[in-house]
Amino acid sequence: MSEEIILQTRALSKVYRDFWGRQKVRALKGLDLEVRRGEVFGLLGPNGSGKTTTIKLLLGLLFPTEGEALVFGKPASDVAKNERLGYLPEESYLYRFLTADETLDFYGRLFDMPSDVRRQRIDELIEMVGLQKARKRQLQEYSKGMTRRIGLAQALINDPELIMLDEPTSGLDPIGTREMKDMILRLKDEGKTIVMCSHLLADVQDVCDRIAILHQGELKELGRVDELLKVADVTQIRAKNLSVDCQRELRDVISRHHGELVSLDNPTTTLEELFLEIVRDSEARPGRRAGVK
Amino acid sequence: MVVEQQLLPYFQWLLTGGEKSLGALPSFAFVFLGVAMAALVIGFAIAASRYGFLRGGDVTYKTISEGLRELLQTSPRRVWAIARLAIKESLRRRVAVALGVFFLVLLFANWFLSTNHQEPARLYLSFVLTASTYLVLGVALLLSAFSLPGDFKTKTIYTVVTKPVRAGEIILGRIIGFMIVITVLLAIMGVGSYIFVVRSLDHSHTVELESFQVVANPAGEEVGKKGTTSRDAGHRHELTLDKDGNGETTVENGHTHRIESLGENKYRVSPPLGFIRARVPQYGKLRFIDRSGAAKDTGISVGSEWTYRSFIDGNTPATAIWTFDNVSDAVDPNVPEDERSLPLSLIVRVFKTHKGVIGQALQGTIQLRNPDPAANGLTSEPLSFDAQDQQVDDFNIPRKQYSQSRQEIDLFKDLVSKDGKIEVLVKCLDRGQYFGFAQADCYIRHPDGSPIASFAKVCVSIWVQAVIVVSVGVTISTLVSGPVAMLFVVGFIILGFWRQDFVDIATGKSYGGGPAESVVRIATQANVMVQLEDTLLNNLVTGFDKYFAKPIMWAVAQTLPDFRSFSTVRYAADGYNVPWDRVFQDVTVCLGYVVGLSIIGYFLLRTREVAK
Ligand SMILES: Nc1ncnc2c1ncn2[C@@H]1O[C@H](COP(=O)(O)OP(=O)(O)O)[C@@H](O)[C@H]1O
Ligand SMILES: [Mg+2]
Repeated sequence: MSEEIILQTRALSKVYRDFWGRQKVRALKGLDLEVRRGEVFGLLGPNGSGKTTTIKLLLGLLFPTEGEALVFGKPASDVAKNERLGYLPEESYLYRFLTADETLDFYGRLFDMPSDVRRQRIDELIEMVGLQKARKRQLQEYSKGMTRRIGLAQALINDPELIMLDEPTSGLDPIGTREMKDMILRLKDEGKTIVMCSHLLADVQDVCDRIAILHQGELKELGRVDELLKVADVTQIRAKNLSVDCQRELRDVISRHHGELVSLDNPTTTLEELFLEIVRDSEARPGRRAGVK
Repeated sequence: MVVEQQLLPYFQWLLTGGEKSLGALPSFAFVFLGVAMAALVIGFAIAASRYGFLRGGDVTYKTISEGLRELLQTSPRRVWAIARLAIKESLRRRVAVALGVFFLVLLFANWFLSTNHQEPARLYLSFVLTASTYLVLGVALLLSAFSLPGDFKTKTIYTVVTKPVRAGEIILGRIIGFMIVITVLLAIMGVGSYIFVVRSLDHSHTVELESFQVVANPAGEEVGKKGTTSRDAGHRHELTLDKDGNGETTVENGHTHRIESLGENKYRVSPPLGFIRARVPQYGKLRFIDRSGAAKDTGISVGSEWTYRSFIDGNTPATAIWTFDNVSDAVDPNVPEDERSLPLSLIVRVFKTHKGVIGQALQGTIQLRNPDPAANGLTSEPLSFDAQDQQVDDFNIPRKQYSQSRQEIDLFKDLVSKDGKIEVLVKCLDRGQYFGFAQADCYIRHPDGSPIASFAKVCVSIWVQAVIVVSVGVTISTLVSGPVAMLFVVGFIILGFWRQDFVDIATGKSYGGGPAESVVRIATQANVMVQLEDTLLNNLVTGFDKYFAKPIMWAVAQTLPDFRSFSTVRYAADGYNVPWDRVFQDVTVCLGYVVGLSIIGYFLLRTREVAK
């Protein structure tokens, strides 16, 4: 992970208004984020907490009410940033009357890719998401999982540096979920920067380097996953092949720093516990949580 | 054919315009600037209200400069990708149904269109072409108004605008895609229509041998035969055959047949000829002399409201005079020089104040005159003709003419002035009867153009209308939902169709005042000629019209296309060639709309929140 900042928000706020300009929902309140090259960054939060809103603001699909969103150092409304970006929406918003091939071909053309490059890239992607058998079928015949895969393929057509995934595993079965996560980790290995949002804790825990927890449009927690889950005042020791004697002498051994120390670290709580705690805490005391700068 | 406005040559139309009109390019520039200024003001006002004065100015400036930059980054491949998508979407939305409807209409058309008509070709052509126009405009409307709103609704637009495609390309690509769909539709409908008309009007006759009479020359030798054909499709022709038995029939219901002898009293009658024509008229300038012999710009009115034609009184000095330029004997270069004639056509509107002699047509005369003062008004002997109301009468005036002092003169040498001008004088001979003329009612007839080419040009004019509808539809649908966009475009078409009346109201030419005053008149049941009372309310209302409604109407009218003038269906129906100048002008106007609306569409799409 380098220090280069790929994505940045400064006091980003969004108020949804109705037709008459009256305030309807404050979906995002003063969000400050930075994502660096090579990171997998997770936006976590319950339904309606403003995750999708954040992603849309970063893509320029929405205009901020206040603050600004910068992608590759440029304002999010700049079309040129899209050259290096891939986006998988919440649901795959694709043309249902196109086949998988036609879909990828269409989006490839939008990147001004020459036809031979396009053909090759389409073959790679179809194989990568495992849709070889269905590539000539219209998307309206696709199952939810297949739609998700073609959606991902579509997001990767330009071999993007930055990939934004909105609920990538939603609607997928456990196998599909596992495959999606593997895919994300593979993309991370290729050096891509990934921003994903999810309300599913397991997704985020498995693949993200850093996470931000949003609740009711406010940032509640921000940090490395491993650090966030560390419980500081408890020590946990794990060892194996200890005889009963040895176990009995364990305290002595440790106190004298002999013996085979297999593990000595802080136990982690599960993300689920942390998450529920934050939500409970936030509901009891609205506003910014202590500890988040 | 009614020609209310003279068609200007293309480049004159484009650059300098006519006497009362501006050139098309300068007008476009003015309208473009006007719209740009208005958009700038509105855009800034919205930005300022959203972000404050300074930041609003900054945002406005950035939007415009970015727009100019993105214009240069337009990629043909991306435009084509969107166009292909639009085509696929059209197919999915079953545009082919329009073709089904069209052929269904043609199937049933034969029930109520009759070939037993004075000019069946006019009836058939105007029917099929009008039907095609409405169908194609309908398709254009539905495709364009619901396309982008559909993408917003299904949110597929999210995955499109997050690609490097520029907003302008999304608009232009759609316009081009639908344009292609419409071109294909129209091509199929055009070919279908043409075949339908030709097949429907097709009929044949047999020759009635018992009607034959021998035609002999003064020496008593047989030079041919005369007779009639059988009665088919509601009419029969008279025919004249030469010695070998070949010949032609008279014109009935707008067509003739050629007759060929097969020997031994057997004849072959050709399919109808000349149903679909493409006359190429050369118009002159019309002026009048009234009954007292004084020169006038117009003749007299016989009370009809429409002032297109004006009338001359019979058996008085009243004359209609056309002056033609560039007259030479080379109108039809295929004819040997000493047999050349002046092909002249005349359409007379007959207005009778009494019955006259029953069964006898009104008589008129044609004379030719040299307009050169040096020729001392050299005029040919009158050529008399039978006036048939509203019929095109074709004359071939032979070059050998006699002056009024019975001296032999040559039409092209003596009656045409040095600078190629000739005057055609038409009078009515019957006392108390009137002939009505408009400028386009007398013309020098050049050899007919190709009817198929002319028909194709009519299709181009339908295409132009459809493309304008598509451009407007796509542009407005960046902003509003499908049904609203559709209503907007329908309003646009209606206003465009009545553009002249709209302008007349805006400029105070028509009676009854502006929209607010009309409301008052309707409410108080005061007709348009009644003077409104001088009350405060009425003054407020007329002031509102004068300083607010009418200027807005005028401004809106400047951006509207004159849909009525696009329609060239009447050219085909009346049997006239569609001039290339007309086609080029229409296509240019269309191009202007595509470009202008794409730019507007770009800013509308660029400045809206896609995920709203
Ligand atoms: N287009 C919209 N108009 C009005 N309110 C909206 C709109 N989109 C989202 N919201 C509201 O904004 C809040 C955040 O929504 P969203 O960002 O979609 O949440 P998440 O993706 O975290 O589930 C919710 O309360 C939602 O109801
Ligand atoms: Mg969401």
